[in-house]
Amino acid sequence: MSYRSFLYIGILFWTCLVISCKKKKNVTTAFYYWKSNFNLNVQQGDILKQTAHNTLYLRFFDVSWNDHYHNAFPNAIVNFSQQTNGLQITPVIFVTNKTFENIRSEAIDSLAIHCNALVNHIAQKQKINYKNIQIDCDWTLSTRDKYFSFLKSFKKINQHFLEATIRLHQVKYKETTGIPPIDKGILMFYNMGKVNANLQQPNSIYNNADAQKYISYIPQYPLQLDVALALFSWSVQIRDGKVIQIYGNIGEKELSNPINFKQSGNAYCAKKSFFLNGIYIKENDNFKLEKIDLNMLTMAVKQLIPYLPPQKNRTIIYYELANLNLSKFNTQTLSQISADF
Amino acid sequence: MAIAGIVWACADGGEENFSMFSPEAFVAKDYTPFFYDSNYWYYGQSVEIDDNNNRFNDQVINEWDSYLNHQLNKPTLRYLLLKASPKGIDSVSNYINGKISKLKPDSIQVNMSKLDKAKFNNLYGYLKLAKECEKFAVIAPYGWYDTPPPLPPVSAKLEGSLSSAFNKSKDPFIKQRLWFQLVRYYFFNDDTTKSKTGAIDNKADILVWFNNYKGTFPQNLTYYRAMGYVAGYYRRKGNYALSNYLYSRCYDYSYELKIPSKFSFHAQQDADWQATLKLAKNNQEKITLWHMLGMEYDPVRAIKEIAALDPKSDKMDLLLSRIINMSEGEGESDYSGKIADTAQQAIKKAEAREVNLVDSIALKNNTTKPYYWNLAAGYLNYIYKDYKKAGKFYDMAKKQLPVNDKLITAQYKLLTILLNIDELQRIDPKIEAKITEPLAWLANLRDGKEHITSLRFDPALGICANHIAQIYKKQGDWLKANCFKDSIAFYTDSSHVQKLTDLMTKSQKSAFEITMLKYYPHTLDELYYSQATVLTYKENIDKAIEKMSLVKTMNPDTLAGNPFNSRLNDCHDCDHAAHQKQKFSPLTFLKTMKGIKTDLRAGKDKFRNAWLLANAYYNITYYGNARLFYQSSLIGVDITDQSITKKYYLLALANAQTNEQRARCTFMAAKCERNEYYNSTDNNNQGADEATLPPPGKYFADLKNHYSNTKYYQEVLQECGYFKKFVTEK
Repeated sequence: MSYRSFLYIGILFWTCLVISCKKKKNVTTAFYYWKSNFNLNVQQGDILKQTAHNTLYLRFFDVSWNDHYHNAFPNAIVNFSQQTNGLQITPVIFVTNKTFENIRSEAIDSLAIHCNALVNHIAQKQKINYKNIQIDCDWTLSTRDKYFSFLKSFKKINQHFLEATIRLHQVKYKETTGIPPIDKGILMFYNMGKVNANLQQPNSIYNNADAQKYISYIPQYPLQLDVALALFSWSVQIRDGKVIQIYGNIGEKELSNPINFKQSGNAYCAKKSFFLNGIYIKENDNFKLEKIDLNMLTMAVKQLIPYLPPQKNRTIIYYELANLNLSKFNTQTLSQISADF
Repeated sequence: MAIAGIVWACADGGEENFSMFSPEAFVAKDYTPFFYDSNYWYYGQSVEIDDNNNRFNDQVINEWDSYLNHQLNKPTLRYLLLKASPKGIDSVSNYINGKISKLKPDSIQVNMSKLDKAKFNNLYGYLKLAKECEKFAVIAPYGWYDTPPPLPPVSAKLEGSLSSAFNKSKDPFIKQRLWFQLVRYYFFNDDTTKSKTGAIDNKADILVWFNNYKGTFPQNLTYYRAMGYVAGYYRRKGNYALSNYLYSRCYDYSYELKIPSKFSFHAQQDADWQATLKLAKNNQEKITLWHMLGMEYDPVRAIKEIAALDPKSDKMDLLLSRIINMSEGEGESDYSGKIADTAQQAIKKAEAREVNLVDSIALKNNTTKPYYWNLAAGYLNYIYKDYKKAGKFYDMAKKQLPVNDKLITAQYKLLTILLNIDELQRIDPKIEAKITEPLAWLANLRDGKEHITSLRFDPALGICANHIAQIYKKQGDWLKANCFKDSIAFYTDSSHVQKLTDLMTKSQKSAFEITMLKYYPHTLDELYYSQATVLTYKENIDKAIEKMSLVKTMNPDTLAGNPFNSRLNDCHDCDHAAHQKQKFSPLTFLKTMKGIKTDLRAGKDKFRNAWLLANAYYNITYYGNARLFYQSSLIGVDITDQSITKKYYLLALANAQTNEQRARCTFMAAKCERNEYYNSTDNNNQGADEATLPPPGKYFADLKNHYSNTKYYQEVLQECGYFKKFVTEK
């Protein structure tokens, strides 16, 4: 049987399954919140309630490596300007891969103890009663062992249902990057392409061709997978042919000002040197705008669904609430997208 | 930039140093933390300067020391000001005021007869309050806390104590410090989320306290530190124009204030920056603002603006050095290889903007250090390969160099050497005479025979040697080319090596030859050793012994395993660990081989001698236990070749008397056959994947067909899975 017909039957099979189980399937919608100051405005509060029944994956803190002190420290600990009453919160800890590149194996248990203590401290103080906890780390071959041993220790100490994010490359190369010792994975279905200075390069957040390189490996992944989807756009600052930085706060609105930029396609060239939103822009800098709109999101979901094994209680988490463009996405459109799963 | 690329292309990754331009030669010492260094955030040795909690410690101690007329020694002062807890201060005070008889800790001392008690009590009273303030103002920047620290607890009680102490104090030294504590207190007291969004309140305590008394006190470090907190207040309120202006005033005040001021400098929108510029009271203040923008964001634009305001301003110096130092490393950290044409064009444009600006200022010749601008322009043009222009700028600089400045003179010399060597097209004896001194100078710097503080010269050695080697290579002079750039290919021709040893042993060397050999990395011993190994592999043992005997010191001098033993499976670690009755040095190894060869030629014990020789030749290949034999700094032969060892295994086979012996020889020949296959493919590291297994070959078949009834055959079956598979599958 050829690969193509096998795939076809496969798709048919899943489709039948999805149709036949339509009424039984249970998809939860949720949002990430990644800012270090927790402060929802009315619209954000509304969309969280209406679309996600107040299910929120809240970044509690980062863990990053400090070269000066040769140690891992928490960073950007969330500050609560608002109560979290009535929200179903899953704490998220983002650990930089550099932490595991540098940390000694003997120090991993302490790291897990520290993380657990800090999470519980924050949760207690805010009266957050969490059931699951999520770790986000873009681990690699060289950090795999240390990261996995961290997860094991953390689970042992924390004792909650442990989730971790899974990037597409980790799905494709699972034999080498390994399967993390967790209860459930969250497939990050974005940031799949290369961020580079080439103005012709397709959108690195999502594009069909890059997604295609990974997608066929998803059905064999031996963990339950929730799905994280991107609702963000960003712009890539390019100077003298090199990527300088990526910005979430310089978008179409800022770039389309003809006094400051000359547009050609997705690229915007600075006409002068000036400050904008806290960033210094040099004359001739190029900004490459990479955006995700409803159309692209729908495309991404259509591309992904046939490859997702069926799963009871799948959560679709949108990234992210604090920077959500409410003119592009609303409760209705997002609920529709989640319903496709 | 391609110059350094040639040299470092083969470097083993990691951070490389490309710099050959020393800011120390041209820029005032106060700016040292901002000298560009690709490895460090702040340049220089002083770590404290980067530490917000310790930055001002030395000044604070010195100020108190002079206030107290040096009556307390420095360690005691340091203890009281920086280390002691409130209890510790009480204890010292109790001692001084006669309430207790023993001073704690032992490390501190007080000479009571010299001490001005009134002044000490001022210090004591101040410290009691200051230590309370440190609880919120001096916070460890990082840490996993059992309970994370809450927002600084700023108590209303402390506010009262501070202001009443301020009002009571008559001593201006103490009073100013209390004023500083109050300004800082109100900075932290206001650090709430609400205060960050609120509008500027001119009645805010921090502003009232600062403004009411700022004219009362001298404009010293304490004054500018207080101003820094006011700047912080404005920054927090989003008034970047005012905060930047105040930070720029602090930046100008002292070396220690430069780092926090630079770090806090920020503009949100361009209007903020324009408003900042308008606040400047004169051109000098405006220049500082442009200087700060230049350091953080855009040195080219900043220099242009400063030069227009005051071409004599030394605020351009640092910016220029940073432009140069950043250009030096440009492109070197880009591992992606080829870059797109559009990117290439963008880079070229940016380079041109930089060079044009520096050229034009140098040509105007109206700065305070024209030689600096000419050297910089020359070097930038050199980096971007306009050698003619580079030369002109260097010539202009030469006439302007300050006399007797060792570093600047050396910098000039270094830059001109680089240019002169890069410009060479061919080298004849005349040129050799000309470049002898510069090359010797560089080598002496490298060897520490000459020392010029702060001169960045490292990469120049490689760049010059490389270019010279290329020219000699083009001219067909392999010997000289190899002296400047060592390559393995050179050693494959024994006549080359002989010429080199002749040169090194020559008694009357020319000055150029002496200098050239300073660039050659190997010693005579290493050359002799290399010659000896090459001769060994050519089976010329007599000559090999001759060369090996010339080696004076050998490291290591003992082979780790017995090189005459053989193994069924290759395992040097096992051979190295095995007990050895006799240990061999490379020389005794060769001498033993010679004896065996002589016996073999004489027809004595042919099987055994051929077998021993085969093992010896096997062990000095990549697959054997005597890698140390060839692992010298020079390898001039193919150490994987199996032809000699195979030849002797087959000779042993032909002279064997029992089937056991024959089985052994056949299996060893099979190993040689296998190794030849590994040599011919790149797959030898991929493990036992089916596709990469070598073909079984002639000797596996021989072993199976003729010697299956031997004991050795059973040993092979036991040890070698591949042979077992071969036997069972066919």
